[in-house]
Amino acid sequence: MAGRGIGVLFVALALPLAGRTAEPPLRQRIDAEVQKTWQREKIQPAGLADDATFLRRLFLDLVGTIPSEAEARAFLADQDPNKREKLIDRLLADPRFAAHQATTWDLVLFGRHPPGGDATRKRDDFRAWLTQKWIRNEGYDRWVRALLLGEEEGSALFHVQFRGQPEEATVAITRLFLGTQLQCARCHDHPYERWTQRDFYGMAAFFVRLVVVDGPAKGNQRSYRLGEKSTGEVLFSGSAKEQKPGKKGDPIAPRFLGAAQPLAEPALPMGFKEPSLSSGKMPPPPHFSRKARLAEWVTAPDNPYFAQAVANRVWGQFMGRGLVHPVDDLGEKKEPSHPELMRAVTSQLIAHKFDLKWYIRELVNSQTYQRAARGPSTAALPQWFERARVRPLLAEELLASLRVATGTENEKDNSGLKEYVTQYFGEPTNGRGDFQGSLAEHLFLNNSGQVRQMIQPHKGNLADRLLKSSHSWEARVEQMFLATLTRLPTPEEKARFVKHLTSTNKPEPLVGEAIWVLVNCAEFRFNR
Amino acid sequence: MSSFCPAHEHLSRRAFLKGALVTAGGLTVPNWGGLFHSQSIAAEAAKQGKRCILLWMNGGASQIDTFDMKPGRPTGGPFRPIATRVPGMQVCEYLPKMAQHADKLAVIRSMRTSEPDHPGGIYLMHTGFRPLVNVSHPELGAMAAKYLGKEGSDLPSFVRMGPTGNAGAGFLGPKYQPFSLGREGRLPYFTDSSLSAEAEERRKNLWRFMEEGFAREHHAEPFEAHRSAKEQTWRLLRARSAFDISKEWEKYRDLYGASDFGRGCLLARKLIESGVPFVEIGQDNYDSHADNFVCHKASLRVLDPAWSGLLQDLHDRGLLQDTLVVWMGEVGRTPSINNRAGRDHFVRGWTVVLAGGGIKGGATYGATDADGKDVKENPVTEGDLFATIYTALGINPRAKHFVGTRPIWATPEGARPVREILS
Repeated sequence: MAGRGIGVLFVALALPLAGRTAEPPLRQRIDAEVQKTWQREKIQPAGLADDATFLRRLFLDLVGTIPSEAEARAFLADQDPNKREKLIDRLLADPRFAAHQATTWDLVLFGRHPPGGDATRKRDDFRAWLTQKWIRNEGYDRWVRALLLGEEEGSALFHVQFRGQPEEATVAITRLFLGTQLQCARCHDHPYERWTQRDFYGMAAFFVRLVVVDGPAKGNQRSYRLGEKSTGEVLFSGSAKEQKPGKKGDPIAPRFLGAAQPLAEPALPMGFKEPSLSSGKMPPPPHFSRKARLAEWVTAPDNPYFAQAVANRVWGQFMGRGLVHPVDDLGEKKEPSHPELMRAVTSQLIAHKFDLKWYIRELVNSQTYQRAARGPSTAALPQWFERARVRPLLAEELLASLRVATGTENEKDNSGLKEYVTQYFGEPTNGRGDFQGSLAEHLFLNNSGQVRQMIQPHKGNLADRLLKSSHSWEARVEQMFLATLTRLPTPEEKARFVKHLTSTNKPEPLVGEAIWVLVNCAEFRFNR
Repeated sequence: MSSFCPAHEHLSRRAFLKGALVTAGGLTVPNWGGLFHSQSIAAEAAKQGKRCILLWMNGGASQIDTFDMKPGRPTGGPFRPIATRVPGMQVCEYLPKMAQHADKLAVIRSMRTSEPDHPGGIYLMHTGFRPLVNVSHPELGAMAAKYLGKEGSDLPSFVRMGPTGNAGAGFLGPKYQPFSLGREGRLPYFTDSSLSAEAEERRKNLWRFMEEGFAREHHAEPFEAHRSAKEQTWRLLRARSAFDISKEWEKYRDLYGASDFGRGCLLARKLIESGVPFVEIGQDNYDSHADNFVCHKASLRVLDPAWSGLLQDLHDRGLLQDTLVVWMGEVGRTPSINNRAGRDHFVRGWTVVLAGGGIKGGATYGATDADGKDVKENPVTEGDLFATIYTALGINPRAKHFVGTRPIWATPEGARPVREILS
């Protein structure tokens, strides 16, 4: 695969940065490669998105919410030809950027229903740790190394998911950080890829000695630390079909995925005895740390999977689908949709020391990212990037956007709004990632007191301001469109809304209905 | 493929032929209105497609005290067996009404399953799979919703009430999530509109205006999925009277027995008749680690009229032949009786009962040994059971789904339907 090809590529890349200044910015390379495939596939791409569409898309992708009415007005009125690039720089420096990227990665690392029960449900400390990484813009390789070591405060929660289950850790860590699907090889040799059960258990051997130790509780948050023992082996007893009761299996030495030889380990001193562990106590540092070697190998720039996996994942985050799709399956038989581009983004990301902020800046400055969402294709995630992708808002984005739209973002909520939104909007897709509307989602939007509360006029929220305004209904319709959909209404829309708002002489319920409509339409539900 | 051809296709074809006969009988125009108003044909239409009702015995009912009795053995307990309509098939004395329906039942006495505790067992016996870290499997109800539900139906395709499953729609996605009623059939939260009908209509029309404008230039599938879910929500509110059995209850109380579970069974029948393909009704609580016999006697007295009433009612309405009724819980109970007169969890040989659509009545499959301590013949795993259920419902037990790139089949590797009890 990819593996070997890229391994060769890395030799060339190891040149010092100075020698490569002639290289054009990545954003131009992206557009050139994507355009090549349009010519080849005879595809008519959508035009560039208008300012309003771009503004909303960028806000949601970078800072996790729609812009306010004032932000929308300012950007739409700005005559600066470079205003898009300037806005990108401004949002990348916004504190909400770090928080939103941390939220996104937290979901990548844990999902909505992480194993580990209550322990992994409250993740404030972990998110705080991850947010710091984004605030400091620490290289992705460095923070993943820290995550795998689990020694920094807050970081060990990641490993609580796999407590006492080295096989689960193997599946998750190879998928997340190496874009490799190993789970098949747990019970039998992989049917389509080259991975065997011995590859699987060779990796599992790196996790078998890890112990998650409870640290002191802080308020209602428990803390954890990751320790490692000096002994303990993973046993391999053949394929699931050959399993028999009482069959014990042979110990398997740790071996990096794809390596020919097991890791060389120093022998334990004669008569070494593992100290007995009392609960709540960290084991002493191991005689030899498999964990440290693994963290180093996973995140090394010449690891053939690591850079490619993150380049592809972040590409998918902003462009909709991965260059290899889904983003965590870079199998040998999976050719990227744009092989040259895959090589370019991977090598440049390595050259930039895994600076994801740099990479994101290049992605969102590309014309590929800035296409309109119109066009004949019905795909949510068009294969050739000929128009913008359509993705449902994350529950977190939806909640933040509802609050910004209705002018309630600074209000405290005691009604369980966040829990309901997470429950009803947290997993809007099936196993393949296709969006599905659910009954529960719409029952909540249609009939819940929580949504009604945000919309009903009170202390300076959108409905209150509209009702107290002395402007014409036409101007007020513009205001509500900007606040909710980040755009001005079309003449037809303006006329229809004015008609609605003046259809009786009691404007209050009518204003509420109009706002409800705007936050309930497909245009609001998705980032497009 | 042909063996999984959905039954409703044959039925609708039959309905169509009847319509055509009417035409041949002298009408010059195909009388479609007549077709749907004619009583017999409307009944035919109501029968389209397979449906399933799951009677969930929460906590795990005792096989030895119901359908696999061991009279005279140390494990037998105090309940006595009675004869049924089927020669040789005996049931517990506290299931006298069910004894009269034994000819409709297929009793599997050789369940051997792999999750002895409640959460794992509840997951297992709703999905056919053991819980896994990386995959969330869909419940039987979600599978039925996906494969038996009709697009554009007013009612949800997966309705449940009482103590039931814990897995939901899993990787099939939110479209197939259960619509969970509270006790006594109370509708879930957020099903009541606070708006007047007039205001509801007004905002609906404004919303549709926005969607139509947007749809003119935006063709991606998710937009359409959003719109159809919204419209379904409105249709559901219009059809909510289907959940109200207060008018019928008086008439049916004696048949189903005056209990929440009995009401649930009547509601299940009503929903099935209204086109809902899957309804699950849970009964608490069979988890009798102490006082097993007191507990079971009380529970069976609720179960007997409700279950038999349901079978009778479905039969009388001509619905039973296409409605599979499944009776099971997450575990069986130990043959040995503990020192608190209780029975604990048991998965080495227990009982599940199927009836109705696709099932051969009056059948017994598998057997346990003299004391009920193990399966003596024809063990049936959870996977085999789900393959049997899916086959009876016309769902391919090898239907393939994906979680990311990972293929997952409807039933675990090696699962086989029990052909002996399929009709």
